Amino acid sequence: MAQEARAEFSELLAARGVSRRDFLKYCGSVAALLGMSEMYAPQIASAIESGSKLQPALWLAHGLCTGCTESMAQVNTPDVPTIVLDLLSVNYWETVMAAAGTQAEENIKATVDKGGFVLIVEGSVMEGFNGNALRIGGRPGVEELKEVAPKAAAIIAVGSCAVDGGWVAGNPNPAGATGVSAWAAKNNIKVPVINLPTCPVNPEWVVAILVDVLLAGELADGSILKKLDAQGRPSLIFGQTIHDNCPRRGHFENGEFVVYGAADQAEKEAKGWCLYQMGCKGPQTYTNCPLVRWNKAVNWCVESGSPCIGCGTADALKGGTGNWVDAGTPFLGRAANVRLPGVGGVQPSTIGAVVGGVAAAGLVVHGVASVAKGRVKGVPTETEKAYDMKKKGGDK
Amino acid sequence: MARAVIDPVTRIEGHLRVEVEVDNGVVKDAWVSGGLYRGMETVLLDRQPTDAFYIAQRICGVCPISHGHASTMGSEAALGIKIPNNARIIRNIIEGAETLHSHILWFYTLTALDYVDVVSALSANIADTYALAASAGTSTADFGAIQKRLKGFVDNGQLSIFTNGYWGHPAMKLPPELNLIAVAHYLEALEMQAEAAQIIAVMGGKFPHFMTSLPGGTVWIPTEEKLDEIYFRWQNVRNWIANTMIPDTLAIAPFYLDAAGYGKGVGNHMAWGVFDDKSMDPLKRTLPRGMLMGGLDLTQPDPAKIKEYIDHSWYSSGDGLNPAQGETKAAFDAYSTDAKYSWVKAPRYDEKPMEVGPLSRMLVAYVSGNAGVKSLVDSTLAVLSKAAGTTLPATVLESLLGRVAARNLEAMYVADEMGKWIVELVGAVKGGDSSYFVEPAVDAGAGAGLWEAPRGALGHWVSVKGGKIDRYQVVTPSTWDCSPRDAKGVRGPMEEALVGAPIADVTKPLEALRIVHSFDP
Ligand code: SF4
Ligand code: SF4
Repeated sequence: MAQEARAEFSELLAARGVSRRDFLKYCGSVAALLGMSEMYAPQIASAIESGSKLQPALWLAHGLCTGCTESMAQVNTPDVPTIVLDLLSVNYWETVMAAAGTQAEENIKATVDKGGFVLIVEGSVMEGFNGNALRIGGRPGVEELKEVAPKAAAIIAVGSCAVDGGWVAGNPNPAGATGVSAWAAKNNIKVPVINLPTCPVNPEWVVAILVDVLLAGELADGSILKKLDAQGRPSLIFGQTIHDNCPRRGHFENGEFVVYGAADQAEKEAKGWCLYQMGCKGPQTYTNCPLVRWNKAVNWCVESGSPCIGCGTADALKGGTGNWVDAGTPFLGRAANVRLPGVGGVQPSTIGAVVGGVAAAGLVVHGVASVAKGRVKGVPTETEKAYDMKKKGGDK
Repeated sequence: MARAVIDPVTRIEGHLRVEVEVDNGVVKDAWVSGGLYRGMETVLLDRQPTDAFYIAQRICGVCPISHGHASTMGSEAALGIKIPNNARIIRNIIEGAETLHSHILWFYTLTALDYVDVVSALSANIADTYALAASAGTSTADFGAIQKRLKGFVDNGQLSIFTNGYWGHPAMKLPPELNLIAVAHYLEALEMQAEAAQIIAVMGGKFPHFMTSLPGGTVWIPTEEKLDEIYFRWQNVRNWIANTMIPDTLAIAPFYLDAAGYGKGVGNHMAWGVFDDKSMDPLKRTLPRGMLMGGLDLTQPDPAKIKEYIDHSWYSSGDGLNPAQGETKAAFDAYSTDAKYSWVKAPRYDEKPMEVGPLSRMLVAYVSGNAGVKSLVDSTLAVLSKAAGTTLPATVLESLLGRVAARNLEAMYVADEMGKWIVELVGAVKGGDSSYFVEPAVDAGAGAGLWEAPRGALGHWVSVKGGKIDRYQVVTPSTWDCSPRDAKGVRGPMEEALVGAPIADVTKPLEALRIVHSFDP
């Protein structure tokens, strides 16, 4: 059986012009994303190759902009990951499926009846107006979720909206948006939820997680479910800040910043100076964007010249009130009380000068996670900016 | 009389329900219901214009560039900012890349499955398929391998996203060989839409949702290396549209000539125009601003004449207001096609429903005398006339077939224009223009960003006080096209387009789905 499947699989690879070497290389990058040594690559490869049955999956669309589905269409080296995706039978995926209406809904029912499926949720859970903020099939969308979620083998919440409501939950949360984890807890649904924030979700993470789910139990310590943090996020992906891995970091250390509107803005941007002065949320945002990058690794936000806006900030446990929009706006404002351990309170604008060559890996940003409580919009930001003073000629 | 319901409508952005009343195999009446309310306009209040740029684009994950640009332009209009010339060209290229991305994705991934029978492709003769591709002038692929892969898929019994499609439906008309060609290009299209999106990623950080067109200009600075990255991707996508997408369209259309006879909307068209030239005058945009009220007489829209109605929408205030004074107060009670049935408001221009989208833009450009658009449209009409055996006038575009064709022709037109903008940018950079961004001098004002998304006219009305947003209203293309009835009971464009459509099987209203998809909601 396994032998037979292997023959089929190599044909599949050949039909797409993918060499065995490329395939193994890809398995290695999946291993890395899952926090395993690349030594596991052959094991991942053989587990993928010998799989003879497709894993059923449902991709449900709730309070969404469809950006996360769009993001999946931008996945890297399409030939290999789509082979992985071919190992799933995605029986419901509104944006791309052939069936519509009644025929589409039949697909959900047939899959739920059989059980053992992976549930992927895109978009916020919409509780407003008794769930009528989102209507699907002539009833509140949450009704659909209530029928499907408890029967799933695992749930993957893709994108910040599904994780904690995302921008849709932004103050004053007019449509009653929340995230899957918080909603499931409230409804006593015990199925494990894997949270993948950022807006949209990074497709490379989704593929890696799906591989992990497909292989569940086959690799000794491979299961992502054993490596989730308190918010249900895979720690390997969400354990380090953007700032930790940012290529502009050297300029941060040197106190070399790009300043919007300054005469030399373009010149300094072309040199790749640090965007901290423009409000970069890299120091407080925990994702590996600088490493995995976006759109087949073509680029990522900070490299394009824009500060990170912290779209990967989420609070799955709070559901709604921890969303990245309330936590991060004004996006171009710099957090007021950035502290360095052992140095005491400093003005962010002088960090570069104070820190100099000192490793700033321990940079801690206070007052960011905590302000969103009490319906405050945004973090306290500086009023007088050092670069404003500079423009006035007051800089030394 | 029978009621057919499509809910959820799949292969669209967002959530839509469609009800049609069918009598003797023909649609007599229709209701289109938007199923999702998120409240973007309210979430943006009290935040800064720069925040609005980043957040408002999240209205739509398929056209975030257009929303980002309309938001930024609204803020710039409010704060009196005139952006540097480099920023204008850069925005055009990003916007153009999104148009190509969106149109490719729409034709192949979203609507093709309404016309292409994937299962029928299994019985295609491979040699005949190559012969057909050659005579249609479209690109070839390893058709044998693709058919084999498809067979493995079907034999496995797990059809994944193809489960329960309308295979074998009487309204499916293509021969197996053409179905197989289309399936091959369906797979290629996935790579081409991604390549177009990578142009945005180079210039905007990532796609969907980009980072760089902030109010004031752009924070992306071109280098020679980055311009190269854009150029070769543009060339690949442009050539693929010319050598695959356009020939495919012309090969498929003759099998669906009946679609030229139904699917006409309200007959009124509006375009705000898109792609600024050096003058930044909206009347001089590459795809110009303009309006057609039931005919081919060109006039210019006055934004002050727009009003939004809520008689059939789940809102409690703001009825009959212009978006500059608009309000959004959601209030759900119940779903009833006799009373309220949608989260979409009913915008009207001078009390009339307006169709927006590529068909509207192509018609406006055509009557404005745009030479490129005119030659594309005329050559397509010639091909269709030949297939129909009679001379078809430009008004035949006011149909399901015309709406589909217009979008694909626009992809070709924009692809060619984009090449010029890239050259223009290279010239500007080489000429030493290093200005990309200006800061606002004031912190209050009101204005509108009137622009186009791939799916039609888009407006963001922005009012700023003390540096913060105190009013924000958006009228999207789908608000126009998917509008419910207004106070007088007049149907919206999509509803109107559905009326008169043939339905072969009420339990599988495929023809209705085609019409809905033709608007790319
Ligand atoms: S502040 Fe932002 S741009 Fe600067 S080094 Fe940190 S992550 Fe990079
Ligand atoms: S770099 Fe920041 S803004 Fe960009 S995707 Fe990652 S978390 Fe979101």
